[in-house]
Amino acid sequence: MKERDMDEILKQAAQTSESVNPELLDRIAASMGPSLPPVRPLPPSWAMEGGLFAIAVAIALVGAAKAGFFGFLKLSVLDRMIIFPVLGILIFLAASEWVSENIPGSRRRLTPGAVLAVSFFVMLAIFGILFRNYQTNHFLSAGLACLGIGLLHAIPTAFLGWLILRRGYAVNSVAAGLVGGTLAGLAGVTMLELHCPNFQALHILIWHIAVVPVSAAAGAFLAWALASRSTSHSSHLRRS
Amino acid sequence: MARYQQGDLAAANSLIQCMSPRLHRFFVVQYSSREHADDLLQEMWLRIHKARHTYRPGEPVLPWLYAIARNIRVDHYRKSSRTTDHEQPLDETPEVETAAAEEMELIPNLDVLLAPLPESQREVITMLKVEGMSLEEVARATSSSIGSVKQKAHRGYEKLRERLTMLGLGKGQVGELP
Repeated sequence: MKERDMDEILKQAAQTSESVNPELLDRIAASMGPSLPPVRPLPPSWAMEGGLFAIAVAIALVGAAKAGFFGFLKLSVLDRMIIFPVLGILIFLAASEWVSENIPGSRRRLTPGAVLAVSFFVMLAIFGILFRNYQTNHFLSAGLACLGIGLLHAIPTAFLGWLILRRGYAVNSVAAGLVGGTLAGLAGVTMLELHCPNFQALHILIWHIAVVPVSAAAGAFLAWALASRSTSHSSHLRRS
Repeated sequence: MARYQQGDLAAANSLIQCMSPRLHRFFVVQYSSREHADDLLQEMWLRIHKARHTYRPGEPVLPWLYAIARNIRVDHYRKSSRTTDHEQPLDETPEVETAAAEEMELIPNLDVLLAPLPESQREVITMLKVEGMSLEEVARATSSSIGSVKQKAHRGYEKLRERLTMLGLGKGQVGELP
């Protein structure tokens, strides 16, 4: 059977489908009320993406300015020229995907999971190449401190990002939470690269990079919890 | 849609009249139940109303609408699976079976035709072949890549071809499906 014949069969099948009850359509139209207030459309995507990018960079810079730019000063010019543009590109990618997740029917470059995976492996490759000191001093205590600092900077980034996107509508809230968490985690890593003077490879490869997946998982979990709460709340309201 | 955003009630009504049959068919194909489709359609317009500011004038409207429709379908699936998890089946349900059998006869032909396909292939084929959306529009509505849409459509069509061949169905015979 040819594809054209199958198309024809599907079209015929669709035509035989039952039509919508006109009373239902009238009920839906009536539910809109006698007047319809105009709404302001969302700002352009580039403006929201730019806003998210600016927030992530600003929080990393402010955090490092308060704690000291020790890491930045210790890095060679070549290291700086590689690390920070790459982090900038990853932040832009995550910001762009977070905006897309909050506008139904948007064009996608990558899925949220792919943004997280790309960020993780790109950082792993770059840091693995640039940092070759395999000593481990105060591995756990210094590592946990850096993880904590990174996550502390991820929290305000995620919150301010949510403020920018609060008028959006996420069709998949867990995916939106995941990519939002990834962006916030990248802001945390950027702050750590500016601040942390500990250049031991394992410290950076494990504890600095861990900020991103931990933050992404926290974002996804938070979004899932909020969505479940609002779903059960709305079904409870409907029942009562 | 842009006029609906600006508060034009007539535009909103005409959008409801124009789009509801398509969205209703989308829900019927996914659930094979008119009752569910009616509920979902109402829920759909409530959400469209709340989220109407997220539509961007000048952008294609179908991906925006179907992305919301998919979201409602997923929510409904989660809720109904939670409910059915707590349900305890009766030992004997002769009356229910009779009612189900009667309902089967009322099922529109399109959902019978697409029933054996997995959900993801069913929705892609409905959007592409029944609603006439482009690959780009389906990719936007399903938050996936064009390649993934092509793959799902191809696999769905292969399964559909097998089913149609098995039924010995040709053009003009759709109404005779079981």
